[in-house]
Amino acid sequence: MNLREESQERPGDQDYEELSQFHTDIESEKAPKGLSEDVIRFISAKKNEPEWMLEWRLDAYHRWLTMDEPGWARVSYPKIDFDEIYFYAAPKGFDEGPNTIDDVDPELLKTYEKLGIPLREQELLAGVKNSKIAVDAVFDSVSVVTTFREELAKAGVIFCPISEAIIEHPELVKKYMTSVVPVSDNYYSALNCAVFTDGSFVYIPEGVRCPMELSTYFRINELNTGQFERTLIIAEKGSYVSYLEGCTAPQRDENQLHAAVVELITMEDAEIKYSTVQNWYPGDENGKGGIYNFVTKRADCRGDNSKVMWTQVETGSAITWKYPSCILRGNGSQGEFYSIAVSNGAQQVDSGTKMLHLGKNTSSRIISKGISAGRSQNTYRGQVSAHRKSTDARNFTQCDSLLIGNECGAHTVPYIEAKNSSAQFEHEATTSRISEDQLFYCLQRGIPEEEAIALIVNGFVKEVIQELPMEFAVEAQKLIGISLEGSVG
Amino acid sequence: MKTPVKHTIGEEALLGLLQKAGPQASQTLKSINERGLPTRRVEAWHYTDLRNLLKNYPDVGSSNEATAKTAMATCKIGLPGITLPIINGGYHPELATTLPQKILVASQCQTQDWGEIAKDDAIGLMNMGLASDGLTIIVNENALIEDRICLSHIMTDTKSAATRHRVKIGAGASLTLMERHLTANRVAAVTNTVCDLEVGDRSIVTWVIDQQMCDLATRFGQLNVNLGANAELTILILNSGGKLVRQEINVEVTGEGSELNIRGVNLIGEGAHIDVTTRLDLRVPDTVSNEIFRNVVVGNGHGVFQGLINVASIAQKTDARMACNSLLLSDASEFSAKPELEIFADDVQCAHGATVSDIDEDQLFYLMARGIPEKQSRELLITAFVAEVFESLEVEQIGEVLNERIDNWLSNNG
Repeated sequence: MNLREESQERPGDQDYEELSQFHTDIESEKAPKGLSEDVIRFISAKKNEPEWMLEWRLDAYHRWLTMDEPGWARVSYPKIDFDEIYFYAAPKGFDEGPNTIDDVDPELLKTYEKLGIPLREQELLAGVKNSKIAVDAVFDSVSVVTTFREELAKAGVIFCPISEAIIEHPELVKKYMTSVVPVSDNYYSALNCAVFTDGSFVYIPEGVRCPMELSTYFRINELNTGQFERTLIIAEKGSYVSYLEGCTAPQRDENQLHAAVVELITMEDAEIKYSTVQNWYPGDENGKGGIYNFVTKRADCRGDNSKVMWTQVETGSAITWKYPSCILRGNGSQGEFYSIAVSNGAQQVDSGTKMLHLGKNTSSRIISKGISAGRSQNTYRGQVSAHRKSTDARNFTQCDSLLIGNECGAHTVPYIEAKNSSAQFEHEATTSRISEDQLFYCLQRGIPEEEAIALIVNGFVKEVIQELPMEFAVEAQKLIGISLEGSVG
Repeated sequence: MKTPVKHTIGEEALLGLLQKAGPQASQTLKSINERGLPTRRVEAWHYTDLRNLLKNYPDVGSSNEATAKTAMATCKIGLPGITLPIINGGYHPELATTLPQKILVASQCQTQDWGEIAKDDAIGLMNMGLASDGLTIIVNENALIEDRICLSHIMTDTKSAATRHRVKIGAGASLTLMERHLTANRVAAVTNTVCDLEVGDRSIVTWVIDQQMCDLATRFGQLNVNLGANAELTILILNSGGKLVRQEINVEVTGEGSELNIRGVNLIGEGAHIDVTTRLDLRVPDTVSNEIFRNVVVGNGHGVFQGLINVASIAQKTDARMACNSLLLSDASEFSAKPELEIFADDVQCAHGATVSDIDEDQLFYLMARGIPEKQSRELLITAFVAEVFESLEVEQIGEVLNERIDNWLSNNG
């Protein structure tokens, strides 16, 4: 056996393949390559959108044309050729949308089965009743199926693809969409507004505690296809919802673009818990292929004593550019951000959060754990600011970075801005490598090096894993282990 | 699609001076003409919007022996040690203390050898364009200089001054050098000082920046250091004056086994904007660096700290720490911090911490419960907060001098 040849293959690749790297052969319908007014009209027509939506998209497109790509993040990539991207791809036969799960192309269902996403309600119902999860599955540009809708509707919860919400709940969409992330907030949010195709819409009415976890799985399947989803979650007074998001894409040599916008709105005493496990294809060892993940996520804690909690596990994507933020507008509102960002191979991560304290007695907490291995670059970039009138704002930030190998980089760029003497901000950051003592301790007890490292890393990220819903915590732990395979030795 | 920069009044004034300055100013002139002064969009100036903050740039100042003497008397210059007076941007050798033989001082207007100046380095650019004088100080190898050398910069009028000093400390030498920045009168002077410091192997150096200009003055300072092997450098900074102050410290550590200590106190008064920006480039293995900054902001003052530690991939076994703690004493006061780590080596220990808060109510209560009036209790707590920075210095007198300034400032601003 040729050992050398084998060692060139990154073990992680195989596992990734097993997990999600298969391409589903499904006939699909695409819009012409590139971006123009016609493509936007095509998308809008495909979605049977009302006129106001089309105008809104065209307006966003024109604004986007005047904007420049942001260059401040610590990531480098060749300029994206927007003329080479398909902005719309749908599995064929989706013009009408499936009525029941049996209408869904069995190939597609198999894909989701392989991904381990419980689309079939009955399968789930066979399990423990309390652990039900409602799923919205988005395949390339369209939402293929949303489960448990009826049961949710009984509680008054609206959980549907956003394209459906535009038609059925235009008043809510008009009122809230872009109220958190304005159209021209940044280059990619403007692009998203122009071409977004699907995503989830969640509305939790006053006083309702959403009876189950809501979940969306995103998958990019087609070659050269961009995915632009848009998620809007509104939690009315006193309500609660926990929302999970997962992403995968098959192995492709070309880079694919994913530019999403997520907006969360919490009213008085409401709480949203938003968890992400991001496992887009990271590209091969030499940085070929992989997803460009340029995402704008922002929560607006509008009501008093409202709360938003972002938890993210980022293991995939060639480039991640993502800052889930909280605008703490309501008095006594709380924002939390828990993040694990693992990078290996040639991945580049520039991620973090913004906590903008505007209301009185607001508090925020940031726990960020970055792990870099291989030749990757991992940056935490975060902002904490207290407005002049935001008295008694409190923040605690902890950013820890772990380095594995001497070719990677770990960076921390916090912005701390206090405009008020009653603000209390604490920030601490550390960077180190796996402690030799800990490693020695494990090795001495007969644990192989790779396992020992996984064990230590799991200890390192424990604080964040604890914040994840149970179903995700297990998956996340596995993912971290897989992502780091091959980084030792 | 670039629209030409519309120049502010401050930029216009600066451009006027640069046009008069001759060929040395051509690069600066071109840069400021095309790009203007840095705004918040320039990352290195994120919290100091120089374009809007720099309201004027007065004519270049001058001085004769008489004005210099008066200025020195007003500022009570004549402390023990070696004084090298630089009045309104001009060095006065006739008023300087006689130097020991191991030191060579030369005054010169440098028009060459500026090296490459980065496009965002506004202080370097302005200095290059306008520098009128500067000292070259060369300290012999193994020279132990006991007297502290004091570069006393004094401004007497609403004028501007730019100086560039070069200090080269030979291997195994030891000395304390103090940069003082003063105003003899309450004038809206603008000064720009760039110091290039080369610290030889095994030398032990303390560099002090003591800035106590009046509340109308603008000061731009830059200290560029190259630190040799097994050398020990302590940089002490005390900002207790000025309206607009930007002090940059750039240290490139190129010698293994060296140790760097930076300690700073910024006392930011009503209407002041004080920015301290440090950059550490650790290029070799086995170095230790420690940075501590304590800031006190009163009134509507705005304090800024930007600290970057860059660890190159070969700089294994680095131990780098940075802390920035700030006290905001009024609802209108403001502090912005950006402590950055850029790490490319894995076997390192790097940490930074930053806090912003008001005086701890519990501590205040503790003191007041023991019968100490509120004002006094507050002063006590503020003093304790900052005085710690200059404690246990090897050069004891310096600590005393600096702590005295802190007390004075507190009694005037507390």
